[in-house]
Amino acid sequence: MAAQELLDPIDFVGPSGRLLIDTSVFMDDRPERRGGLKALLQRCGQTIRLNDNPIVIPIDVVEELTKQSRKVDPERAEAIRRAGVSLGFIGDAAALGLVRTDIGHDSNHYADSVFEAIFTRYANQYDMCLLINDITPLLHVRLLSHTSSKKLVAGSLTSDGRVRIESDQILYERGVRKLRRKQDEGDAREVAALSPLLADFKGQFGTSELADRRTGSPVLGSPSAESGVRCRVEPFDREPAFKGADSLLEVATIPSVGDKVHFSSPSGSGSVVLDELLGEGGEGAAYAVHGDRVVKIFDRDHVTRHRQAKVEQFASRSLYSQGICFPEAVVTNDAGEFVGYMMPRARGNEFRVIMNPRRFLKAFPGWTKADLVDVCISFLEKVSYLHSLNVIVGDINPKNVIVDASKNVWMIDADSWQVDGYPCPVGTPMFTAASALGRPYAESLRTSEEELFAVATMLFMVLITGQFPYARTGSDGDIARLIKDGNFAFQVGERSNRDQPEGNWKYMWSHMPRGLKEMFWNTFHREGQRYTSPPSAEEWLRAFRQYRWWLGSDKNFDPMSNDVYPFRFKAFKPETPILECPQCNRRNALVGEWNEATQDHVIPGMCFDCSQQNRPRCSDCGTPRPAGALKDGRCRDCNRKRDFGTCERCGTETPHRYLVGGRCSQCQLGTCKSCKKSVLKSDLSYGRCTACERRGNELDPLRLCTDCRQSFIDFDHIEWFKGKGLDVAKSHVAIKKQCPPRTTSVQPASSQRYPNVPRAATTTTKQAASKSSARPQPTFWERLKKWWNG
Amino acid sequence: MTFDIRAADLVENPTPRVPVSLCIDTSGSMAGDKIRELVEGIGLFYDAIDEDDDAHDSAEVSVVAFNTGANLVQDFASVEGLQRDITIAPSGLTHLGEGVNLALDTLEKRKSLYSDTGVLYFQPWLVLMTDGQPNGDKSELERAIQRVTRMVASKKLTVFPIGIGSDADLDVLGRFTPEKPPLRLKGIDFKEFFEWLSKSVSKVSQSMPGGEPPIDFGSIRGIEDL
Repeated sequence: MAAQELLDPIDFVGPSGRLLIDTSVFMDDRPERRGGLKALLQRCGQTIRLNDNPIVIPIDVVEELTKQSRKVDPERAEAIRRAGVSLGFIGDAAALGLVRTDIGHDSNHYADSVFEAIFTRYANQYDMCLLINDITPLLHVRLLSHTSSKKLVAGSLTSDGRVRIESDQILYERGVRKLRRKQDEGDAREVAALSPLLADFKGQFGTSELADRRTGSPVLGSPSAESGVRCRVEPFDREPAFKGADSLLEVATIPSVGDKVHFSSPSGSGSVVLDELLGEGGEGAAYAVHGDRVVKIFDRDHVTRHRQAKVEQFASRSLYSQGICFPEAVVTNDAGEFVGYMMPRARGNEFRVIMNPRRFLKAFPGWTKADLVDVCISFLEKVSYLHSLNVIVGDINPKNVIVDASKNVWMIDADSWQVDGYPCPVGTPMFTAASALGRPYAESLRTSEEELFAVATMLFMVLITGQFPYARTGSDGDIARLIKDGNFAFQVGERSNRDQPEGNWKYMWSHMPRGLKEMFWNTFHREGQRYTSPPSAEEWLRAFRQYRWWLGSDKNFDPMSNDVYPFRFKAFKPETPILECPQCNRRNALVGEWNEATQDHVIPGMCFDCSQQNRPRCSDCGTPRPAGALKDGRCRDCNRKRDFGTCERCGTETPHRYLVGGRCSQCQLGTCKSCKKSVLKSDLSYGRCTACERRGNELDPLRLCTDCRQSFIDFDHIEWFKGKGLDVAKSHVAIKKQCPPRTTSVQPASSQRYPNVPRAATTTTKQAASKSSARPQPTFWERLKKWWNG
Repeated sequence: MTFDIRAADLVENPTPRVPVSLCIDTSGSMAGDKIRELVEGIGLFYDAIDEDDDAHDSAEVSVVAFNTGANLVQDFASVEGLQRDITIAPSGLTHLGEGVNLALDTLEKRKSLYSDTGVLYFQPWLVLMTDGQPNGDKSELERAIQRVTRMVASKKLTVFPIGIGSDADLDVLGRFTPEKPPLRLKGIDFKEFFEWLSKSVSKVSQSMPGGEPPIDFGSIRGIEDL
C-alpha cells in the first residue's frame, strides 16, 4: 500500500454501503481541509437521495457538538462557534434527506465508541466508510477490515470531498505517538484502550517501530507485542527473585468504623475517618471514605511485611487506571503503624453472580452473549495492562473481579497480587494450574503460565456461566485431580468425549465460534498445543474481539448463539431451518435435521425439551427415556444399580440373585472331596481341587505292571477299584492297556522308585491309551453351538 | 416456558457442593430440652446457610436420626429444598453404628449422583452427635467405625464427632477420629456450633493458602476438649 490513498466516498452511499461522520471532522479547522463537507455533499448528494441512504451522523456526535456549542470559554471561542455552525449544517442537511441523526446510543456505554459498535456489528453486512481524525477508531477500523468480507475504511476528509486513507505503517506510528502522549498525561483509560489495540495492529500487519525507539515495557506472554511503546509508569521488575516468607508486623491498634486513620501518597497525605463498613473478608475489612474511595484495614493476622511492601510499591508509582483498584495511599494508625491502604471504590457485582443462573438473571436481566463477551474483553484489558506492568494477579477468582451493569470490570484485592518478588499468598483450587497445586501458595512465585491458566479458566467460566472447564461425569469430585488429569470433556471437531457434564453447558459450548473452541481445547486438554503455554491476555483479547464482531455479523446465523442460556445445539449450517416450537412456543427452539436420503431438512414435531417432557421418566433417577426403554418404570442403568451387586471378592457386577454370601458364582467356596480343603468352587473339577486332580492323574510309582515291571495305573483308577470293593488290577492288560515296547533291556530298579525319570514314557502311554479307549464326548456347549449354527 | 431453576438445580448450579451429613441421636435420653435445642440449632444452621451466598450455593444437607434403628429424616438437598419443620420424638436405644452406616450409604448415593451428572463436590462432612453410649449391633458399630476412619484417612470425609453432655461416650466417638480428640458440647448450646459450621461451609469455597481447607476446632466457643 502506498503511504496514502484517496477514495471517492460515493462508493459508500450506494445500497450496500454506509458513510459515517465523526465530530472531529466538524471541529477540524485546518485551512487545507476547508470546504470538505460541502464538497462531500456535492459529490454524493444525488446518489444519497437516489438510494435513500443518508450519511450517518450518530446522535452521540450531535450531542457532543451541542455540548461544545454551549460552553462559555473565551479561549475556545472559535471551537464553540464552529460547533454551533455544524449543528445548523446538520439540521439543514437532515431536512434535505442527506444526513440522518437517528442512530446511536448503542447499549455500549462509551459515547466515543459508537462507531466501534456500529462497525463491529455490521462489519460483514455493509461496505462502510468513517470520516474521522482520531487515531484510535482509525486503527480499530483498519484491524476490523482485515477480517471482514466487506470493504471497511476510515480516514480524514479532504477539501475536495474525498477520503484520505493512510497506510498501515503511518496509522501505527500515529497510534504510538498518541499512546506516548496519553501516557505522559497519565490518561490511563486511553492507555488501556490503545496499548492492546496497537499490539494487535502490529501483530496483524507487521508494522515496524518508530525510528526513535525508546526502551520498551515487556508484555507478559508476548514480549514483542509492545516493545517500543514507552510506559510513563515504570513497570515492576520482570523477573524478580522470590522475597521469601512473609512475617507479621506488630500493631498497637487496628482501626475500625468511626476511627481516624492517616494516609500518605506521593500526591499528598492527610487523615480520614472510616465511614461505613462495606464488608469483611478473610484478611480484613473495607470502609468507605470520601464517597468514592475505600480503605482496606487488615486484621492483626494479616498486617505483614509483604503487604506493607507491596502497598508502598504501588502507592509510590501513583498508578491509576479505570477498573483497577491500585493502592493509592498507605494507611497508618495513630501510632504511625501500617494497617492498610486506600484505593478507588469498585462498584458492581462479583463475577460469581455470572456463575449462578438465579443471581445472574436478577442482577443483569436482558444480557445476551455479546454482553458476556464485552465483560470478558473488559476483564482482559485490565489483566493485560497489569501484565504489561509485570504484575501477576495470582488469586484470580470470581470474588476478586467485579462487574457493573455497564459491563465495566474492576480488579480488586491488590494486596494479594504478586509483584517485585512478593508472592500472592492465597489461591483458589479451581483456578490453580496443575504445576502449582499441592503446595502452599505463599511458598513460591507463580509463573506467567500459571497465571494464564487462571485467566483461561475465568474466561471459560464467564462464557459458560460458571461451569468448571474440567467438570465431567465419572469424577470423584477431586478438583485437583481433575486439573492434573487435563481431561477437558467439551468436544470440538472430531475430538469427541463421552464425559461431558450433564446440563445445558454443552449447548453453551456448542454455540461458541469454532476458533475460540479450539483455543480453549488446546489450552485445557492435556493433548492440546497450548496446554503448557496458555494464550496470553493479548491473544485472548484478539479472540474475544473477533467473537464480539462475529456475534454481530451475518456469519452468526443461529439466533440462539446470542443467548446466554441456549437450550439446544447450534444449527449446523446457515440454511438450516430454525423455527418456534409449536408446543412450548419458545423462539428458535426447533432446528431442522438434515436427511441424507431425501436431501432435505426434516422438521421435528417439537423441540428436544418438549419431547423429553412427554417421555416417561425413570422412577429412580428421573431421566426421561423413550417408553420402550423403561422396565418396571426404571431405566436400564437404574435397574442395573438396583438388581446388580458387586462381588466382594472379585468386584464383578453380578445380579443380586446370583450373589451368595456377597460373592458371585465364580467366587463361591466349595470343599474338595479328596482333601476336604476349602477352595473356590470355580477351581473344583469334578469336586476336587486342582492339586488333588493333578495327583489323581499321576501313575502310582509303587504299583508296577506284573508283565513289564513299570508303573501302569493312576491313583484315580486305583480309587475306582477300591470304591467298587474290587481288587486293584495288577497289569496293563487288566486295565485294557498295552505294555510299552521295550526299547532298553531292563530299567534300573532305582528309577522305578522315582517317577520323575520314567514319567515321560508313562504319561505318553496313558494319553495314547485314553485317546484310543475313550474318545471324549462333545460337551453340551459344543453340541449347542453346533445345533445353533445348523 | 420459564427458566425452572429449582427443578434442575443439581445440574444447573455449577457451584461445587459441600455435602453435610448430620447424624443425630434421637434416643430416649435426648427427650426434652436437648432435642428441642438440637432441632432449633439445625433450623439456625439452615437459616445461616440460606443467608450466606457461598453456603447457599454449595451446601447440601442430609439428616439421619438414630435411636432403635436409623431413619433418613432428610435426604441430601440444597437449602431451598430442605424440609424446614423437623419433628422428632426421642425414644428408644442408641443405635449409633446403624445411624452412621445409613448416613454413609446416603452419602455414597449422593456422590454417585454427582459423579454421574458431572457435578463437582468438596470433601463431604459428617457431623455425628450423641448423648449416650451406643447399644446397637456391635458389628454394625465396628463396620461404621471402619468405614469412617478409612474414608477420613483417604481424605474422602471430614468427621465431627460431638458428645452432648457428660454421659456421652467419648471413647467410642474418639474411635471415629483417631487423629483428633472428639468434642464435647458443654450444656446444650448448639447454636454456636451450627453457626460455626455454616461459616465453615462458606469458607470452603474461599481463597485459601493452599492444601486442606483450614478447620480450626479451637475457634468454636462453647466446646471443650477433654
